[in-house]
Amino acid sequence: MVAPRSIAIVSPRYPDGATVGGAETLLRRFAERLAAHGLDVAFLATCARDHFTWANECPADVRRVNGVEVRRFPVSPDRDPALFHARQAAISRGETLTRAEQEEWLRHSVNSDALLDFLRAEGKRFDRLLAGPYLFGLVRAVARAFPDRTLLVPCLHDEPFARQSVIGEMLRAVRGCLFNTEPERDLAGRLHGPEACRGAVVGLGLDPFEADPRAFAARRGLGAPYVFYCGRREAGKGTPLLTDYLRAFRARTGRDVALVCAGSGPLDSAPFIHDVGFLPEKEKHEALAGAVAFVHPSALESLGIVLLESFLAGTPALVRAGGEVLRWQCARSGGGLWFRHYPDFETELELMLDRPDLRRAMGERARTFVRREYAWSAVESRLLQALETL
Amino acid sequence: MPPRRAVPPRRFLFLPAPQIAALCRSGARALRRAPETMNDIGIEIGADDVDVDAVVARIQKAVDEKIAAGVYADARLAAAERTNLAQLKNDEQFAGFYLRCLRDAVYVDISDFEIRERRARFAPFLVRLKKGIWSLLKFYTYRLWSQQNQVNGLLVTGLESVDEKYAEKIRALEARVAELEKRLGAASSPPAEKGG
Repeated sequence: MVAPRSIAIVSPRYPDGATVGGAETLLRRFAERLAAHGLDVAFLATCARDHFTWANECPADVRRVNGVEVRRFPVSPDRDPALFHARQAAISRGETLTRAEQEEWLRHSVNSDALLDFLRAEGKRFDRLLAGPYLFGLVRAVARAFPDRTLLVPCLHDEPFARQSVIGEMLRAVRGCLFNTEPERDLAGRLHGPEACRGAVVGLGLDPFEADPRAFAARRGLGAPYVFYCGRREAGKGTPLLTDYLRAFRARTGRDVALVCAGSGPLDSAPFIHDVGFLPEKEKHEALAGAVAFVHPSALESLGIVLLESFLAGTPALVRAGGEVLRWQCARSGGGLWFRHYPDFETELELMLDRPDLRRAMGERARTFVRREYAWSAVESRLLQALETL
Repeated sequence: MPPRRAVPPRRFLFLPAPQIAALCRSGARALRRAPETMNDIGIEIGADDVDVDAVVARIQKAVDEKIAAGVYADARLAAAERTNLAQLKNDEQFAGFYLRCLRDAVYVDISDFEIRERRARFAPFLVRLKKGIWSLLKFYTYRLWSQQNQVNGLLVTGLESVDEKYAEKIRALEARVAELEKRLGAASSPPAEKGG
């Protein structure tokens, strides 16, 4: 099979600092790495930044960023947000939607007719279209219009949206999928049959870094040991659970442990919770390196980028046993423990506090694992091989 | 290991008696569980080889034993698990564990309590003032909390009864399925070969 020379990467948002999203970040990194390999790469996104409103906040323009042609297109104006939210809420409640209702859900999600028109007009310029994540109308529209050229980057989570039959049809119809992890691929197969998990496991490359573990606490005036969380703060990511658990931990054990939360979204207010908002990369690395543990309470991850960054910082993690991907990462790296409920969490956090030797040993194993498995050289090799063979 | 700090009761002098009693109970419980720390699990690790599967298995075994012994029957745990219920409901031990937490928290202590004053200055006056305020509030507070206790008790008893009823039903069905499988196996097994 001839290796593709020209690639379009399609995602609802282009991550440019103000936009946060693991899937979009992964796609941007793919784009830049492929461009560095001499491929003709375009990143096609909408003008939206906010995934709640999908308002056209950025200009519809064409730029070149790190060798990638970045094109933004307006979101189609004919979406009905109320209908979308009604369908979305019904899915979240576990209701069974009819085919027509599922179509409405995707139709009134984010779409861009201008982007699709561009892809149609450009004809065969692009050998492959990499589109993701799975749950947006735009991604589904691209997959439906160009199934033979589409490689889906689903970033699939075990959630009600993933169980919709329209999603299964999309997974089965495209040329193949680029999964982040083996559990994600298995999930696709489990939910929608063997045809849905055709593809390759690629993942995301991470650059190693060194960080001073004392710098963050010194700069922020933190006297107590702290656990760290970084990412979106919302129920789906488990942040309310984390604050509840730490509150109970402090009350039951009488130990002074702080919670440092980076990222965006609502957060409980308490003297032991430190909301540091968005952190520059260097400071994030220092915060990770100085933490007793990185706690990732989300059950909905397809890779766990920040978890892997915490491993690179040599900091072990505590994750939820129900989060299949994160638990898998902890088990295979030896860098983290998983908890079923509060009693497990209490015991494991005490272990992290009381056994620095164990923490160091786990951190070292985790760092070695990420440097081996998620080095860009290894990921690029998997990505290029997938593009050639799928 | 030194005993852990209980919640200082003096911070709650202005709270109603039931809350003070509940806080004192939880503090006492925290002190009772003090010797049972993680280090008692005694995880042996080498410096360069940590088997996290084994560590987690050991932790889970130890925690399960502690749950069975009632170490975690604590109302604060039920509150902490409010966003983890979807995950826990699949755990076989969940209902029993959660019901034990609820049973522990269900009855609010409405018995009277000693009114004290930590500030030395004007202490007798402040104590008398607090006693006066409390005597005015007592009638209403007792009435309210005794009714709430009744409702709490009925709810937990109802839940326990539903849990026991369905557990019994499931046990009976499992026994029936096992019996049917046994009979089916006996009926479909090939006849023993003759000879030999």
